[in-house]
Amino acid sequence: MLTNGVRCFCLYQTFLPTLNMKHRIVLFLLAALLPFAACKDEDPVTNTNNFTLTFRALYDGMPLEKYTNYSFGDKQVLYDKFNTFISNISLIKDGQEVLLSDIEWVNFTPDSAPDDRAVEVSFKYSVPDGDYTGLKLGYGVRADLNAKKPSDYPVGHPLYLETEYWPGWSSYIFTKVQGKVDLDGDNTPETSIFYHCGSDAVYNEATMNRTIRVAGDAALVVEFDLKKLFTFNGQLLDLTVPSNQVTSHDASNIALGQKVMDNFKNATILQ
Amino acid sequence: MGSGRVVLLAIAAGVLLLARCTKDDPAPGSGCDLTGIPYNPTPYTILKPDHFPQVPVPAGNPQTAEGVQLGRRLFYDPILSGDSTMSCSSCHLPQGSFTDNKAVSKGIDGIEGRRSAMSLLNIAYATNGLFWDGRAAALEDQALLPVEDPIEMHATWTQVVGRLRNHSEYPELFRKAFGISNCSQITKELAARALAQFERILISSGTSKFDLFTNGDAEFEDEELRGKLMFFDEGQNASPALPDAQCFHCHGGITLTGNNYFNNGLDSVGALSEFVDIGRGEVTKNPSDYGKFRAPTLRNIALTAPYMHDGRFATLEEVMAQYNDNGFGVSNEDIFVQQIGFPVTVGSTVHYSGLTAQQTKDVIAFLHTLTDTTFVNNPDIQDPFQ
Repeated sequence: MLTNGVRCFCLYQTFLPTLNMKHRIVLFLLAALLPFAACKDEDPVTNTNNFTLTFRALYDGMPLEKYTNYSFGDKQVLYDKFNTFISNISLIKDGQEVLLSDIEWVNFTPDSAPDDRAVEVSFKYSVPDGDYTGLKLGYGVRADLNAKKPSDYPVGHPLYLETEYWPGWSSYIFTKVQGKVDLDGDNTPETSIFYHCGSDAVYNEATMNRTIRVAGDAALVVEFDLKKLFTFNGQLLDLTVPSNQVTSHDASNIALGQKVMDNFKNATILQ
Repeated sequence: MGSGRVVLLAIAAGVLLLARCTKDDPAPGSGCDLTGIPYNPTPYTILKPDHFPQVPVPAGNPQTAEGVQLGRRLFYDPILSGDSTMSCSSCHLPQGSFTDNKAVSKGIDGIEGRRSAMSLLNIAYATNGLFWDGRAAALEDQALLPVEDPIEMHATWTQVVGRLRNHSEYPELFRKAFGISNCSQITKELAARALAQFERILISSGTSKFDLFTNGDAEFEDEELRGKLMFFDEGQNASPALPDAQCFHCHGGITLTGNNYFNNGLDSVGALSEFVDIGRGEVTKNPSDYGKFRAPTLRNIALTAPYMHDGRFATLEEVMAQYNDNGFGVSNEDIFVQQIGFPVTVGSTVHYSGLTAQQTKDVIAFLHTLTDTTFVNNPDIQDPFQ
């Protein structure tokens, strides 16, 4: 408002010599009323605060560790990679979505980790004060973003990552989960399992209802539990079936990838 | 002692001091004033093929024509080594796609290193660590290390900086690149920045047969096409005729490397601590990273033999033979090493066939399409002293 006022004053000074007295009086009255008019239109003061969204990887409720044997029914499994793209991260307020981010890449198993513990991945957003009723996540890369390729994105953008794009699908690899399962019963997982899921058809969104109060700096933790991710209708994925051990690279055969991506919402926990 | 002798001794001492100063030591005092030399750096746009992503350039080291010129000169100048016999280019030659085509390289003292010189092609895109083990985070950090490595250039930066400060041409080049006002402001950090600027321009030309094919400007021979389909697993419903060679998982993306670290199944060890060279594990100290190495780019792979971190394989055929054995099942071995070829299911267990002789030939034929002679012959990256 101050800026507008200064700007008006300058105009007034510039054109003043060209006006007669009647016009000058009218202009003066208009100028005097301007601040009130401006104040009337001004939005209510809304503070924004840092909102930290943290993603955490679990296995059966415990923090995930790479190369650690976990019970998977009567089998042992281990994982060595878990990463995923999340689109359209939004808070919900009064039924409206407040977009925090178009896309983030959540890599729980970076090469630089000092040990085998999956890392927590945090993002900070500036969020208006208020009470929000939920969090919306898009599992994967939404279609308009997935229509482009890494060379279309600037350095540092999550979708600049060449390694997460597969030309064979003309798609980003939305999620990678890799590991091994012990099928011969010697407690040493030896059979590779991997789930590389991508293409527009497997993208989906979900809203988790939860009161999230943002007043001052606020935080929310989102957990993805790998055991839940591979549990369908209460049944663990049968890893003795070879077609359940790996996702196909064939873009026309995405059934398993679809199943996994659709199940992400069931594997998501808000803390 | 007579007064004449004292004068002679003083003169001799003075001459000795001057002689020392023109050699290796940093110039004392004010050094030389460079402010009379214009400093008008010219922004340098790194050329890249349209289908390549933007080249990452750190904000703290913007590319300039003067910086690149200085870096190029330093790269090829043996002034950086202890006895002035060896330059960066001794192990990174353009014709070898900036390798030396040796299993391991020898330093100035004739001592062999333990790892092979990596290609510098598209090194600007390597933002996940440099060297085979990722011990340097950025090119500016990497450039500092070989100079003082006792089995490489075996110099000290104090020694090298002294030479640069007292050189007849380098102070002017540093002035033009970085705006220093005095020779004494030449530092190892500035030298490393210049080297990094030069290395960032080592980008593919986009004229390899693979690039031309990708852009619809060339056709593949049948075996090259089959090789590509297996390399990227683009053969629909991966048939026995076109099984998955699994290459792209580690050598994916437009630069054909994700710059990630893998145990690619080279050695059979009982425990991870038994690896002769623990690679990435030296940096992270994490036993799970023992035996992992950075996947090199496969662009120009036909020009960079021998292969692997220790140069153990002389030919691409040997490399493929190794991969066709599907690894050893070491606990941190990459899972895709075990899945090369067509899956054969026995009960709940899946075995992979490896590639047939013809399929192996096909993949190698595809690898040859990655050769970029325009890059290695680019006059802008050759030795400026020749």
